[in-house]
Amino acid sequence: MSTIIEFKNVNKEYKSGDHILKAMDNVNFTIDEGEFVVILGPSGAGKSTLLNLLGGLDSVTSGQIIVNGQNVESFNDNQLTEYRAKNVGFIFQFYNLIPNLTSLENVELMKDIVDVDINGLDVLDSVGLKDHASQFPAQLSGGEQQRVSIARAVAKQPTMLLCDEPTGALDSKTGVLILNLLQDMSNNKNTTVVIVTHNAILAEAADKVIRIKNGQIESIVINENPKKVTDLEW
Amino acid sequence: MLAKKMVRDIKNHKIQFISIFLMAFLGVYVFVGFGAESFGFEETANQYYGETNLADGWIYTSNLDKDFVDKVNDLSLTKDLERQLVVNSIADFKNDPDITLHFLEDDDISKFYLIKGDEFDLSDGDGVWLDIRFAEAKNLTVGDDITFELNGVEITKEIRGLGYSPEHLYQTSDSSMIPDYDKMGFAYMSHKAFPLGEIPYNVLLVKYDGDSASYEKQLDNDLGRDYSSFLPRAQHPSFAEFQDETDQHKMMTDVIPVIFIVIAMLTLLTTMTRIINAQRTQIGVLKALGFKNRTIMFHYISYGFWMVLAGGILGFVLGPLTLPPIMFEEMADLYSIPYWLTGFDMSFVIVTVLMVVLAALVSYLACRNIVNESPSSAIRPKAPKITTFGFLEKFGIWNKFSFNVRWNYRDAKRNKFRALMGIVGVLACTLIIVASFGCMDGFDEMKDWAYGDINHYSSKLVLEDNATASQIDYVVGEVDGEKLMESAIEIKANDVKKSGVVTVLDDNNLYTPTDDEKNPIEIKDSEISLSKKMSQLLDVEVGDTVKWHIMGSDKWVSTKIDRIHSDPNSQGIIVTKEKLDDLGLDYTTTSIISSKDVTENYTGVKTIFSMDSLTDSWDTMMESSMSIIYMLAGFAALLSVIVLYNLGLLSFTEIKREFATLKVLGFKSSHLRKLLLTQNLWFTTIGFIIGVPLGREVLQYLWGTMGDSFYLNAHISLKTIIITFLIVYVVSILVNLMFSGKIKRLDMVESLKDNE
Ligand SMILES: Nc1ncnc2c1ncn2[C@@H]1O[C@H](COP(=O)(O)OP(=O)(O)OP(=O)(O)O)[C@@H](O)[C@H]1O
Ligand SMILES: [Mg+2]
Repeated sequence: MSTIIEFKNVNKEYKSGDHILKAMDNVNFTIDEGEFVVILGPSGAGKSTLLNLLGGLDSVTSGQIIVNGQNVESFNDNQLTEYRAKNVGFIFQFYNLIPNLTSLENVELMKDIVDVDINGLDVLDSVGLKDHASQFPAQLSGGEQQRVSIARAVAKQPTMLLCDEPTGALDSKTGVLILNLLQDMSNNKNTTVVIVTHNAILAEAADKVIRIKNGQIESIVINENPKKVTDLEW
Repeated sequence: MLAKKMVRDIKNHKIQFISIFLMAFLGVYVFVGFGAESFGFEETANQYYGETNLADGWIYTSNLDKDFVDKVNDLSLTKDLERQLVVNSIADFKNDPDITLHFLEDDDISKFYLIKGDEFDLSDGDGVWLDIRFAEAKNLTVGDDITFELNGVEITKEIRGLGYSPEHLYQTSDSSMIPDYDKMGFAYMSHKAFPLGEIPYNVLLVKYDGDSASYEKQLDNDLGRDYSSFLPRAQHPSFAEFQDETDQHKMMTDVIPVIFIVIAMLTLLTTMTRIINAQRTQIGVLKALGFKNRTIMFHYISYGFWMVLAGGILGFVLGPLTLPPIMFEEMADLYSIPYWLTGFDMSFVIVTVLMVVLAALVSYLACRNIVNESPSSAIRPKAPKITTFGFLEKFGIWNKFSFNVRWNYRDAKRNKFRALMGIVGVLACTLIIVASFGCMDGFDEMKDWAYGDINHYSSKLVLEDNATASQIDYVVGEVDGEKLMESAIEIKANDVKKSGVVTVLDDNNLYTPTDDEKNPIEIKDSEISLSKKMSQLLDVEVGDTVKWHIMGSDKWVSTKIDRIHSDPNSQGIIVTKEKLDDLGLDYTTTSIISSKDVTENYTGVKTIFSMDSLTDSWDTMMESSMSIIYMLAGFAALLSVIVLYNLGLLSFTEIKREFATLKVLGFKSSHLRKLLLTQNLWFTTIGFIIGVPLGREVLQYLWGTMGDSFYLNAHISLKTIIITFLIVYVVSILVNLMFSGKIKRLDMVESLKDNE
């Protein structure tokens, strides 16, 4: 398996007034293609910051982020947009679906940004929502909304799925459903999945577990035999 | 602490609050400012006419002896009366200015308003009290001598005082169609100053009780003497002209500033509601923290309240201070008035207070809903409104629409009020611009019609009243001219009496009557043609009968209308010379028109107008109206920029999170910009399409207020439509550009973090 993501001496500082907060403090790690990665850490550790940097929503203070052999931090605005469009599928805690569009339209929306042949219904089918295609987000349950957002993310066939607490707003049963879906993406479609979570149990299902604290890497553990999400004890 | 929050909130929504402030300001400023001006017109007239005791009516008769005066005095309605001899004279200057001389028997009615020098003195036979405007134009001052020539007699008097006359507020003369103080004026003298034996008084000024109609009835029934005509105030040229101007200003300043106020208020309401709704969770949190409902409401109400109050007060103060002086200066060229008052009306206060109260009320209503929710539900973001499938989605083509179209369609559908406000904002702007440019077009159209289609001579030679037939025939031969008679008449029908003009044709080729489409029409020898506007004023049509008489003659005739012609600035009757003879009325040539550029002075000719001087006068006359129009159009453009920007800002704040999401998904900034632009263009297009015909309606209404003598069908030219289109779309696109930077700088991480 080849390395697809590499963080090299990444620093991210926030200035508030005269004091500087180090949200990322000399972070180094690699992620392989198709890996199912879980990022753990206490609140304020810098998990979201890491994901945002990786997703091209924010830029590093110093260091390099290399994705597919390309230096993300060297991209200009247009290149960043293109990078997000082609490589990154984001999944948020609060789904962030476009309220004006139906499930199907939310998925097919991706046709407007990437040049792939998307059959929205098939993608919705793959997350089990074929029957809800013409419903608007406000007419769906939280779990269903999150599944639409996953469908939307995978529709454009990105290199990686970045999920910031994707089950944070869901009950555990629905959460397992979502996580299972994500693990499938990694196992069967060779999509790299990075999940930020508070839930340490998920570590057992991950190929790689990255723990961070105070903006620094605390440990990186590779699981030789990850469990299936559905086999975990919640 | 909450005060600190308020200051910080206002700082964060700087632009929005500034625009609330500006809208409140502009609405009140225009409303009160123009109101103060038009009410000022009325108050100025009332006070001035009151101070100078302007006559209620003027009775003209050839033999105005003591007996006549006594008989009028015996009428029960007569309160006061006095005789004057009013004659035209020519002052001794190179340009032969026309000076109207008033020889007074008494000095209680229509008094001279003194500015400089001594009070008017009836016992002074050597002095003259002169028109101050004329004196200024000629550099005359108190103590100077001035010589007049009347009927061949020269009289020289010393100027005792300079001032104004309530009967000469608006002055025109035969030699100038618009006030030109170098060429005309008036002078007041005692009867003692009359040079030739017994003074032949010719007008009786009267003050009476009741309205002019009942007084005229009494004159007709109870006087026991004949008189040639009675002129009530409303028909006195100076009074009527100023009255028309006042009415016109009132109409203009009624309609358009009201549109301003309405737009300003509506936008204010939307903005206030939005700002408070955006703070929904914060309100929930404040409640959860234990703040009293009252405290929270007070906090939110005070937001908009201070801004609107400050804007309202500033507009209320600045409006009357700045706008009327500009207008008055404009008007001072046309009207001789010693002072201008800035008017006041309770509606100014009411509207301002209403605006402030409304802003507070809307804030109250908006946050009451939220405050009354339980804190736990208020803390959670409000469930988005459910979108439903509409009409459009039911068709197959829906799926063919681009994301852009679908997104905008649904967004507008979910935010109907915001969409409506956007449309109304553009509509109001379109309407005001269309009406303004339409006005300018109309002035030109009238000019071309009157001085191109109808009057198409090069020179018009106005004859002396006493020009002889041989003099006239000589001049006609010299200049290869045509004879024309134009005399003032009074027309009655359906109990309405109007003044107008009778034009008598004598095989004219240089004067062509036209129909409503400006096509030439021929008036046959047997026909009587009434002008369209006059037919509207009298509510008559072809086949109906009108009664009319030529001013100065007592002979009334009843005639059936055979035809309707249209004329932009002269209303009345057109007949041929033959028809006039048939009716038994005297024909007098009043002017000679010629296709030559005549400059030579002939005996019997009073003045020569060239076509250029006529159109120049027209332009000057229209200038005062134009200045209001320009100002209103300017304010309209300003208002629409504020409204559109404000609405853009509102929708931007609301869709920020969606845009951030789209950006994360990989949408280009330019794509998002297009999304916003599309919406803007939709609203602009709808507003524009509705605004143009409505603008025509407003224009038609404005033409109606121009006065009885003007007539024009409102037309919107293609040029106007194109100019309006450009202005409206450029403003709309410019406003959009202001947001493109914001979209580009949109911080995805932050926008997604705050969950609202
Ligand atoms: N825009 C910002 N300005 C200043 N400091 C920031 C900003 N965004 C994040 N931080 C700081 O960076 C640190 C890391 O924040 P981050 O959101 O990555 O934490 P997290 O690990 O995702 O926490 P949580 O599990 O609570 O979501 C925090 O201390 C936070 O205060
Ligand atoms: Mg986080």
